[in-house]
Amino acid sequence: MSNQKKRNFQIEAFKHRVVVDPKYADKTWKILEHAIHEIYNHNASGLSFEELYRNAYNMVLHKFGEKLYNGLVATMTSHLREISKSIEAAQGDSFLEELNRKWNDHNKALQMIRDILMYMDRTYIPSTRKTPVHELGLNLWRDNIIHSSKIQTRLQNTLLELVHRERTGEVIDRGLMRNIVKMLMDLGCSVYQEDFEKLFLEVSAEFYRGESQKFIECCDCGDYMKKAEKRLNEEIERVTHYLDSKSEVKITNVVEKEMIANHMLRLVHMENSGLVNMLLDDKYEDLGRMYNLFRRVPDGLSTIREVMTSHLRETGKQLVTDAERLKDPVEFVQRLLDEKDKYDSIITNAFNNDKTFQNALNSSFEYFINLNARSPEFISLFVDDKLRKGLKGVSEEDVEVILDKVMMLFRYLQEKDVFEKYYKQHLAKRLLSGKTVSDDAERSLIVKLKTECGYQFTSKLEGMFTDMKTSQDTMHGFYASHLELGDARTLVVQVLTTGSWPTQPGVTCNLPAEMSALCEKFRSYYLGTHTGRRLSWQTNMGTADIKATFGKGGQKHELNVSTYQMCVLMLFNNAERLSYKEIEQATEIPAADLKRCLQSMACVKGKNVLRKEPMSKDIGEEDAFFVNDKFTSKFYKVKIGTVVAQKESEPEKQETRQRVEEDRKPQIEAAIVRIMKSRRVLDHNNIITEVTKQLQSRFLANPTEIKKRIESLIERDFLERDSVDRKLYRYLA
Amino acid sequence: MKIPKDRVRLNVGGRIFETTSTTLANAGRNSFFGALFSENWSLKQPNSDSFSNCEFFIDRNPDCFSVLLDLLRTGDLNIPTNVPERNLYREASFYGLLDHVRSAKWGQFDGNRLRHSRSVTGRAPGDGTAIRAGPDGGCCVAHGSVVHVYDWIMEEHPPLNLDYQRVNDVAWVDSENIIISACERLGRGDGGMGLFSKSTGELRYKFQVCHENQVKSFTAGALSTSSDYKIFSSCKGRSNEYGIGVWDQVTGKQIDFFYESPGWSLGDADKLQWLNGSNCLLVATLFPRKDNCYISMLDFRDKRMVWSWSDFGAPITVDEKRVRDTIAMEDSNAICVVNEYEDLGFMDLRMNGGSVKWSSRSRMMKGKLSDEPCYPKLALHGGQLFSSMDDCISVFCGPDWVLTSRLRRDYGGSICDFSIGGDRLFALHSEENVFDVWETPPPPIS
Repeated sequence: MSNQKKRNFQIEAFKHRVVVDPKYADKTWKILEHAIHEIYNHNASGLSFEELYRNAYNMVLHKFGEKLYNGLVATMTSHLREISKSIEAAQGDSFLEELNRKWNDHNKALQMIRDILMYMDRTYIPSTRKTPVHELGLNLWRDNIIHSSKIQTRLQNTLLELVHRERTGEVIDRGLMRNIVKMLMDLGCSVYQEDFEKLFLEVSAEFYRGESQKFIECCDCGDYMKKAEKRLNEEIERVTHYLDSKSEVKITNVVEKEMIANHMLRLVHMENSGLVNMLLDDKYEDLGRMYNLFRRVPDGLSTIREVMTSHLRETGKQLVTDAERLKDPVEFVQRLLDEKDKYDSIITNAFNNDKTFQNALNSSFEYFINLNARSPEFISLFVDDKLRKGLKGVSEEDVEVILDKVMMLFRYLQEKDVFEKYYKQHLAKRLLSGKTVSDDAERSLIVKLKTECGYQFTSKLEGMFTDMKTSQDTMHGFYASHLELGDARTLVVQVLTTGSWPTQPGVTCNLPAEMSALCEKFRSYYLGTHTGRRLSWQTNMGTADIKATFGKGGQKHELNVSTYQMCVLMLFNNAERLSYKEIEQATEIPAADLKRCLQSMACVKGKNVLRKEPMSKDIGEEDAFFVNDKFTSKFYKVKIGTVVAQKESEPEKQETRQRVEEDRKPQIEAAIVRIMKSRRVLDHNNIITEVTKQLQSRFLANPTEIKKRIESLIERDFLERDSVDRKLYRYLA
Repeated sequence: MKIPKDRVRLNVGGRIFETTSTTLANAGRNSFFGALFSENWSLKQPNSDSFSNCEFFIDRNPDCFSVLLDLLRTGDLNIPTNVPERNLYREASFYGLLDHVRSAKWGQFDGNRLRHSRSVTGRAPGDGTAIRAGPDGGCCVAHGSVVHVYDWIMEEHPPLNLDYQRVNDVAWVDSENIIISACERLGRGDGGMGLFSKSTGELRYKFQVCHENQVKSFTAGALSTSSDYKIFSSCKGRSNEYGIGVWDQVTGKQIDFFYESPGWSLGDADKLQWLNGSNCLLVATLFPRKDNCYISMLDFRDKRMVWSWSDFGAPITVDEKRVRDTIAMEDSNAICVVNEYEDLGFMDLRMNGGSVKWSSRSRMMKGKLSDEPCYPKLALHGGQLFSSMDDCISVFCGPDWVLTSRLRRDYGGSICDFSIGGDRLFALHSEENVFDVWETPPPPIS
């Protein structure tokens, strides 16, 4: 209870304060007003903080908060008006310095005033939702100084002038500049933006518009880019030194627009120094600069890409259609690969490995490679060349690199099935003639094809390898069971599975009697071990080594010839002179092949083991043939090739083409049936799209062909047309 | 002996205190001492040679200053019996140390360490409607058509009213602003929702609801606020415009309205709870406001009810269990409900259409229902679950919500509402118009 009493007493003492001298508020305010004057006049050392704080506290406590606040506003405003006058009076360069000095003074004064009025800031201001003292001081500075009519434009012009002087190479006081800009930012985002940034950007745009015009008239593309890059970096540096970091994007946008975007096309197409020239000369540095600058502006990169693409397509088109270059398929493909390498390294070194550029490169190659219908053949021939001889002495990794490059070209091909056809033919030749250099390389390529196109694509190619292997085993078996034949293996048979190899049915000839006996032995051995099979001889694909003695000197040679050539030569064991007709009759070799094989033995210099009458380059039906007694050669072994263009001749090409078309039919049909089976009903256009999509990995299906296949399927009751909508097809289970 | 360089001698109201400027710096820059020792005013400091002889005079109460100096030295607040609390607060306010005092007065909230701090008796007639803790330790109590506001010192501020209409709910927007939702008065446009200043009691803003570009009067029910400055309230208009209204805290403008679908209840909701993690609003209409309970989660971004539960059509069992309050527990993806026997039940928020898994505690409670029962209420704070029943509040902890503490006071009858905030728990009793303040004591000395 005693505590209670004590408490009451004290609370009463507290309440006595409420009784106030009527002039109390005015008196107290006078003290505070005087203090504010002294603070602004740098004369604060005589002030007592405790007294001022207590007075301000008491005014708020006794409900004179509003008087205090209004008094503060009035006093501060009048001081700022004075300050404004002294800043206005400053001459020339001292204007900014004076402004900066007064701003520092004001800030310090504001801090001290806030200290005195802290209690008001904490209690009276939040409950009346008035502006806190510090913010109030900034607002008053903004309204009375920065926005005063005599200072506003002068300040803006001074700042912009300084920036301009710096741009033209003068050295300015960056510290002062930073302080003034910082002041604008302290006064609020909108002050900085409205009173400086907006104008700064406008003036900059104008400056760079003029400058870029000047540059583009007198610089080449590379130099212009260097200048633009330099300006861009200067502006970024300017922002870090004395502007708001948020301005960086805005000012760089201005430079980008004025210096790059507005002149983009002119730069790219600049004569003798534009993009195409840079590409031709592999100017990585210039290209990289162009890439980095253009990526900053809308449509910049797409402009570069489009020019690059159209240039690439143009040069590519020339490359693949130039008749001169088509003569050598290996050279042709090598050129393609070189072109690809060139652009790959441009994209890596200058274009930041940009995916969109890689895509553009790929689509360009796809475009022009397929302009030439022989590209699949040539690529296969290139591989053939490499695998026949080109890979000797090349390390395994390099082989891989070459094969990978070839695969890349292969990927661009639309008619992959055509490639497959040729590849099969070439592979068959390599395998049968034992010309392949590296089994590993062959298999590696097949694995690549398999990953690219799937099991189906390579199953037959792999079958060919299996056949080769089994044939070896078969031959072992054959000679083991016919010991009487001795060690000399006069006959080597490769048993080829029908369908896996590019065989021609029914092509055969009369073998010489010595041969046919041996062949019969093999046939009976083989059929004896494998029942239910049929063997037919592919005499058009074999080779033979025969020993021959020429002339009176008895010059001996070993001739490496084809089976057909062997058949012909064997005839001369029993005859001096044979007419074409006689040879044809005796061997039954198809006329075209026979002509070719005679031509290779009678008309090729250095290989002319036969003599022909009359002497001419072509083989006529009435020609007669003799052994050429005068045949000489430096070598003991003589390889007599068949006159066969490495490239296909026109009719052969047509034939291959036809076979490809023929093979496509069942594939198209299968695709149609697969699609219809899952969709049941589909309209014509959608079928075409889906079929094309499904077959894309192998070839580009021709819509008319698809239509024909659909009709054929309708005839065979796989599909029917809808009775109402004739464009709809239905699947018939 | 060397005198520390920063030694300070203060003469407060005639009594000499010696301390250091380091100690006084604990007051922070935005305080009397922070300003006093700032470089702006240090010119008036006596030079350091004669420092110990020179003293600094402050014309304030020395008893209170000694308590505050001790607070700055130790961080502990010890008020001797001869110093009235109100005086101390007044002095702390002068020096700008009120926040220091507040944070030293009670510790971080822990439901298991709560101590009854004081009870405040009001003058309002009749039962209280709701009590809401403010963010800085104050609270407000709705009684009929008036809301009484107390700051953390428990000083009462001018009471609030919205056209003297019956108050349905109250919510704190921040430590300075309070929203009141009230019934409408037919034909006058009175009632609805208003934003008030805590310190002056003035109405700052009245929220409006527009339907088809026409301003309509409405009755506002339960309230909730979200961390992205939105206000939610259940609304009942007169032309069947029922649903949940959404307003912007900064502009006060209505920004959205979620209309009630037929067969469901939103506009009558008893409870709204904004869930930060899932960006959804929990809306619950409970027995006995309606015959059935409707609990739903609303996603305003695509105007969808993402989760819902109702006991509509469920067979009424013998020991009828009706949901009386609910709370969403985002951390455990569950909704907790409570029935009139204070059984807790749980539902999984991740799947729709589940049923309540009751944990039966009712056996120990049964048959003890008081004459004038207050329905249980739930609250969740810092991973602890609180439930009020009759005159006590239970605290549950852990993954299985084990009962760990019980808060009870015998005075004032059943607890009709409670609220946790500003590290305090406020419990409003239905009789005697009294509310209790529970707080955690400051941490132990060592």
